Amino acid sequence: MIGQGEDKEGQKSIEQAILEYVEALYGYAMSLARNPVEAEDLVQETYLRAIKGARRSMPTGDLKAWLFTILRNIWINQRRRAQGSELLLGIDIEGLESESEWTAKNQQRPDTIFEQGLLRENIRIALESLPEAFREVIVLRCMEGFSYSQIAEILGCPVGTVMSRINRARAELRRRLNK
Amino acid sequence: MNEHVIYQIPLYLDNELQGDEQRLFEAHINACASCWAALEYERRLILAIHQARPLYSTPEGLREKIEQILQNHQPISKRFSSRTRRVFVAIVVVLGLILAWFIARPTHIPLVRPSEFALVAVDTHQRYTRNQLPLEVISSSPEEISTWFAGKLPFNLKLPNYPEDLNQSKPYEIVGARLIGFKQDYAAHVVYRLHNRPISLVVTSETIAQPAGGEKIPWQGLLFHFDVINGWKVLTWSDKGLTYALVSDFEEHGQASCVVCHSGGQDQHKFEGLKFR
Repeated sequence: MIGQGEDKEGQKSIEQAILEYVEALYGYAMSLARNPVEAEDLVQETYLRAIKGARRSMPTGDLKAWLFTILRNIWINQRRRAQGSELLLGIDIEGLESESEWTAKNQQRPDTIFEQGLLRENIRIALESLPEAFREVIVLRCMEGFSYSQIAEILGCPVGTVMSRINRARAELRRRLNK
Repeated sequence: MNEHVIYQIPLYLDNELQGDEQRLFEAHINACASCWAALEYERRLILAIHQARPLYSTPEGLREKIEQILQNHQPISKRFSSRTRRVFVAIVVVLGLILAWFIARPTHIPLVRPSEFALVAVDTHQRYTRNQLPLEVISSSPEEISTWFAGKLPFNLKLPNYPEDLNQSKPYEIVGARLIGFKQDYAAHVVYRLHNRPISLVVTSETIAQPAGGEKIPWQGLLFHFDVINGWKVLTWSDKGLTYALVSDFEEHGQASCVVCHSGGQDQHKFEGLKFR
């Protein structure tokens, strides 16, 4: 929960509290922008807006999810402005196999990907090759530990959509790790 | 293998199954070797992804930049509460010196607070010069920048070109621009360089910001407001429905920066009136 900035009571100030998420926000920004300069700008702009927003009215709810939501909104708005039209995070489903297809193909050899070595680099390469919408839900769920409802809040979509997107994203990630 | 259970595996691992659903799932997993294998596989995959964190190293200096941003925007009351007694005493001494300066100051600078627009313009310029506010469009062409702003601002902005007379050489260069937030809307921030010194031109609609505060200088049918904020010279004025702020570190009233919108030859004399009189 969000601190109220009362140092004297030993609580973390909001500035100290939100500083904890610099690395996590940068990782998320990289998963969206895939460009270090853009990602750094996104994080800086996020903090600027967060602190201005917090001065107007103290946010309620989860601080980390709040910051991630701000970052994503900035990203979406920048993309929208750059494209000059409504932005939809596209999921390119062509070439993606269904969950049951994947299961049928991979169920007989559950340890294959571990035999090949699930190195960080392999995961990073596989993640970066995913469509943006899949990439971001993997980061939000598997790396940052957000619940489905928090992810729904960040993405501004129903929990059911999050659920199915995470399932499909994981299936696609497994497929790419097994290649 | 149960298709429904296979579908539920990620939900189970993500703690999204509850009550009867969870009990039924666990009962099946304990009895079905292939579903159990699938669960273990998925568990290890999720663990491996989590352990791969962080995928990217945070750039050196980013945390410091963020700390600077947070420090620059701390509420004033909080800044004081977190200072040591010694710093507080130093501030009191500085305030005393400022008070002494005001008593002995030249009388032509009135004690009027700078406008919010002037403060935002200076803050924007300052952040740009500290590399905390990157430009969104990099171009030396006023036409290109005007086109980039089209549709993004709640008003039309057309940047003048220089020289109007082709025989004049250009004494400055346009660097680029970005949008900035001001009062729930966007304003334009355009960056120029003159003699390798940065100049910021911030433009918004007159309905959103009116020039106020500082020293009033009526000139050429317009009313300029001049302030020195954090050492930066800022001139604000309104003309034809738009409000402008020009920020620089140029001498006197920073009037040398006016050249970014007014070509040299026929307009130079106009700026003479903005010098200290």
